[in-house]
Formats: sequence, structure tokens, C-alpha cells
Amino acid sequence: MTCKPHDHRHCLELFSKLSEYIDREMDEGELREIDAHITECLACLSCLQSLKQTIALCKQTGLQPVPAVFSQKLQSMLQDLQRSR
Amino acid sequence: MTAETPPNRKTVSDDDTELIRAINAGHAERFPELVRRYEQKLYNFGRRMCRNESDAEDLVQDTLLNVFRYLNEFRYETKFKNWLYRVAANTCLKKRRRSKFAPEPELSLEELARPEEAETLEQAPEWARMPLEQLLNEELLETLNQAIWSLPEKYRIVMILRDVEEFSTEEAAQILNLSPANVKVRLHRARLFLRDRLRGYFSHDL
Repeated sequence: MTCKPHDHRHCLELFSKLSEYIDREMDEGELREIDAHITECLACLSCLQSLKQTIALCKQTGLQPVPAVFSQKLQSMLQDLQRSR
Repeated sequence: MTAETPPNRKTVSDDDTELIRAINAGHAERFPELVRRYEQKLYNFGRRMCRNESDAEDLVQDTLLNVFRYLNEFRYETKFKNWLYRVAANTCLKKRRRSKFAPEPELSLEELARPEEAETLEQAPEWARMPLEQLLNEELLETLNQAIWSLPEKYRIVMILRDVEEFSTEEAAQILNLSPANVKVRLHRARLFLRDRLRGYFSHDL
């Protein structure tokens, strides 16, 4: 893919909407505009891909188990609460 | 006194509804059951919001105390999970207001945009094109967690609710009492900030 010469000021405008584009939270016209732009602009495509990868990584941060000592502390707090009701 | 849902208000029913109605009807002994359902998620939310582990534990405890205290005000107009995160978010933000006086820094879109990318790139960086399973390791996750903790809190909480807890924009807006537009702006800046940190990490590694 080659990057056609173009005015990168427009890129900055689209840049502010990339998350909405990824989340599909924009109207059809804007979606099509960005679809078309990234087929011609390597910089924006690269930005889009790295942003998508960042989001994908955030979703992989996983769940840590609750430490047993803290879980016990919570259980005893709950017992105290019930007694106080 | 249990809060009644006013007539003509839409109610939401989910897997927690029966349990909450029972607790609110006087079966407080079932409260630990509710805690068990959300304990791990809440703990992990706390760990992501607070760098310090004991702060995270305090957040979980205070949130559960508030839930216990105010559960009878839950009006079944939203999923319980959303209400729980609203309580947790408020608890967290109140704690910060009490402990710090310095205003939070703003993340500027212009600084995160890096226009020089437009001139130097030939293709997306390798890390952005690699399959996740090849990328993921403990060091990377640690880097990502450190980056999340470095986010100013008002951006961090939006990013966690949207990209980790996977609430919708509308739900995150309700939880944080923000407009959906505001959630979108904060989320985009938070993601760009994290992308920047990851680029820094991979520029040394790949």
C-alpha cells in the first residue's frame, strides 16, 4: 500500500474520532469517510491498528484472585454488619 | 424502608433481582451471597483504580459498606451491576477528593496526536500487527498496568469501565454521571495515552 500525498490536517481531524470509529459509534457517513481515508493514508491506518491493539490488550488484563486474607476480612466484616442490623 | 418503584418507571430484571428483593425484604443473611458474586470483579476494579493494594482493599470494603447501607434505595431501574459500579466509582472519586488537592492534569489531544507519525511511517508497527497470543507476557501486562495507573483518574476510570469492564458508553455515562460525549472524549484520550506508553515499550523491545 502506498500513501497518497494529502493534507495531513484532515488526518488530525479524523484522529480525534478514531475511538468512535473503532466502537462503531458514529453515523454511516463518518464511518465511510474514515473507511475511505485509511485505504489511502498509512499514518492513519497505522494509528488505527495500534489503537485497536491497545484496546485488545486492555481487555486481556484478566482477573486476579482475591487474596485469601482479604476475603476472610470481608467475611468477618459482613458478619458484623448482619449482627448490627 | 424499601424503596418502591414509582408507577410508569421501567424496571430491569436480571440474575441479581430475586436475591436483592430477598435481601431488601429482610433476608440480610443473604447479603454475603451478593458479595460473593461481585467480590472478585470489585477487587480487580479496585486494583486497577488504586496503585496501592491497601487502598484497593479499602475501596472494596467501603463500597460494600455503602451497598449494604443503601441497597434498600436500589430502584431496579438499572442492572444491579451498574448500580454497584456507580457506588464503587463514587466511593473512589470521593476518596480522591479527600486525599488530594492538586487538580488532575488534562490529556491534550494535540500532544497525543504525534503528527510526525504521518511523515515517517511506512507501515503499522510490528507490535500492532502481531497476534495477541504472541505479544502477551507478564512483562507487557505489568507495563500496561503501570500505564493504566499513570493515567489521571478521570481518564482511568472511564477507560476501565469501557475497555476492561466492557460497559457501553451509555452505561459508563450513567455510572459516572457524565454525558456520553464526555465519556467518548475521555476514553479516546485515555486510549491514546496508553498507546503512547505501549509504543515506548515496544520501541525498546522490537
